[in-house]
Amino acid sequence: MIDALHFEFMRNALIAGCFASLICGVIGSFVVVNRLVFLAGGIAHAAFGGIGLAFFLGIPYLLGTLGVSLMAAMIMTAVVLNNKDRADTFIGILWAIGMATGIILLDMTPGYNVNLMSYLFGSILAVPGSDLWWMLGLSVFTLFSTGFFYRDLLAISYDDEFARLRGVPVNLIYFLFIGLVAVSIVIIIRVVGLILVIALLTIPPYIAEKYSNSLAQMMGLSTLLAVLFNFSGLWVAYTYNLTSGATIILMAAAAFFISMIFDALFLKKPPTLISNEQNN
Amino acid sequence: MKDPIIQVNHLSFSYNGSPVLSDVSLTVMEKEFVAFIGPNGGGKTTLIKLLLGLLKPDQGTIKIMGQSPAKIAHRFGYVPQDVSFNKSFPISVMDVVLMGRLPFHRWTRLSRNDRIAAQKALESLEMLEFQNRKINDLSGGQRERVFIARALATDPDILFLDEPTANIDSQGRTDLYALLKELNKTKTIFVVSHDTMVLSSYITSVACVNKDVHYHNDAEITKEMLDMGYHCPVELIAHGIPHRILKTHEGNND
Ligand SMILES: Nc1ncnc2c1ncn2[C@@H]1O[C@H](COP(=O)(O)OP(=O)(O)OP(=O)(O)O)[C@@H](O)[C@H]1O
Ligand SMILES: [Mg+2]
Repeated sequence: MIDALHFEFMRNALIAGCFASLICGVIGSFVVVNRLVFLAGGIAHAAFGGIGLAFFLGIPYLLGTLGVSLMAAMIMTAVVLNNKDRADTFIGILWAIGMATGIILLDMTPGYNVNLMSYLFGSILAVPGSDLWWMLGLSVFTLFSTGFFYRDLLAISYDDEFARLRGVPVNLIYFLFIGLVAVSIVIIIRVVGLILVIALLTIPPYIAEKYSNSLAQMMGLSTLLAVLFNFSGLWVAYTYNLTSGATIILMAAAAFFISMIFDALFLKKPPTLISNEQNN
Repeated sequence: MKDPIIQVNHLSFSYNGSPVLSDVSLTVMEKEFVAFIGPNGGGKTTLIKLLLGLLKPDQGTIKIMGQSPAKIAHRFGYVPQDVSFNKSFPISVMDVVLMGRLPFHRWTRLSRNDRIAAQKALESLEMLEFQNRKINDLSGGQRERVFIARALATDPDILFLDEPTANIDSQGRTDLYALLKELNKTKTIFVVSHDTMVLSSYITSVACVNKDVHYHNDAEITKEMLDMGYHCPVELIAHGIPHRILKTHEGNND
């Protein structure tokens, strides 16, 4: 692996992995504690409509995907804020519309021979240098917003009714952070692909939640875990010539099950996944 | 002389078309200690959320200190009925209580005063030693105490407590009511509770909430009056005290 560092694509992949991990750790923790995993899935699949649109119109990938996923995210946020209980149906519909539109737009694109696989499963080894600047910008902005609104975020995530009562701008912060979820998803699709983006966004926080005493700790620990999964997955992919997106996620999944077994043996607490479902 | 602090006029509210409160009018004076009683589903929680401005009335108006609830919400303290949400969220007792001190200056900066206020609130509920524990590692009653502390940390003018004693042991209840009585010297307090027996020696008035609201302002309430159509569950109120639930109040009659 060390000699692989001589290649620029490998250095780019590692840097991209670090940025993606930071974004996943922070934004993924927000998604997990706010029970927004389904919404994040909706945004990711609506983003596929954006990929289709980008190819159909011949505009850059980031432009089309960002536009569409941000729009979908704003609509979904409005629905969630208005009617929390029924929002999942609506998100499911947008999810399907995004996928269907994306496929039809790709059908209609003349001379279509895009390597669709790289969007479905990611291509961290082909991340261009220009994307690293996007990732850097997003990382800085994410850290800044989270630091700035940390106490508000805590209150909203734990008890939004009380936060509203205390005059926290709940709606504004929801729109801002779900907007960040959308941007993060678009960026991370480059690394692990559309199919696996939700896994990278949620598995590290799921594991970290149990071992953390605060949201900040959870974000930090998730970031470290995500770095670990990225690097080890990349190493396996490079060594055995496999698809990197898939190896990264399998590393994460393996760690998830190891932590579940560890808990069952030593902590005697129900695994997070189950207690989440009970408390929804 | 006391002034009206809350004025509700012809208030109606329904969830998706099914009416919960209809044509409620209510005037409460400053520094009252009001008990909301009534059957399950009677609309007590709904009324509190309307007063807090968390729900908007379909009809009618609510004025609190002459303003709409949303404008004055920062002067309320609130203990919700259900405090068992988000069970796996990693947050310490201290951070929960500090929510009562929101909004902060940004960048997570808390002033010393915020921490001191939070610690004092925890102390008054005998929960200070748990300040660094994760809230989900506490028992139900301990968690409830933390939520009461959060409401007190606000140093509110009006305190709304929605069944604050549901999980609290009997010694804790007596302590809590004594604490509320003390706070009542400077604050108006609304409490939803089914233990009217204990309550009756602390409160100054009762509101029976069952689709409409009957407000009994430091009056002597007889079983006959209740039977005559205040829809309160009679056995609940009159339990053990056949003829009245309220003691007469010293020097409170205008
Ligand atoms: N979010 C909601 N959506 C629809 N209906 C609701 C909702 N919350 C309460 N209700 C209905 O409104 C009525 C009043 O409910 P509320 O919670 O105010 O009663 P309560 O007096 O607080 O009862 P309890 O003593 O059980 O706490 C009930 O019939 C209930 O079914
Ligand atoms: Mg209630």
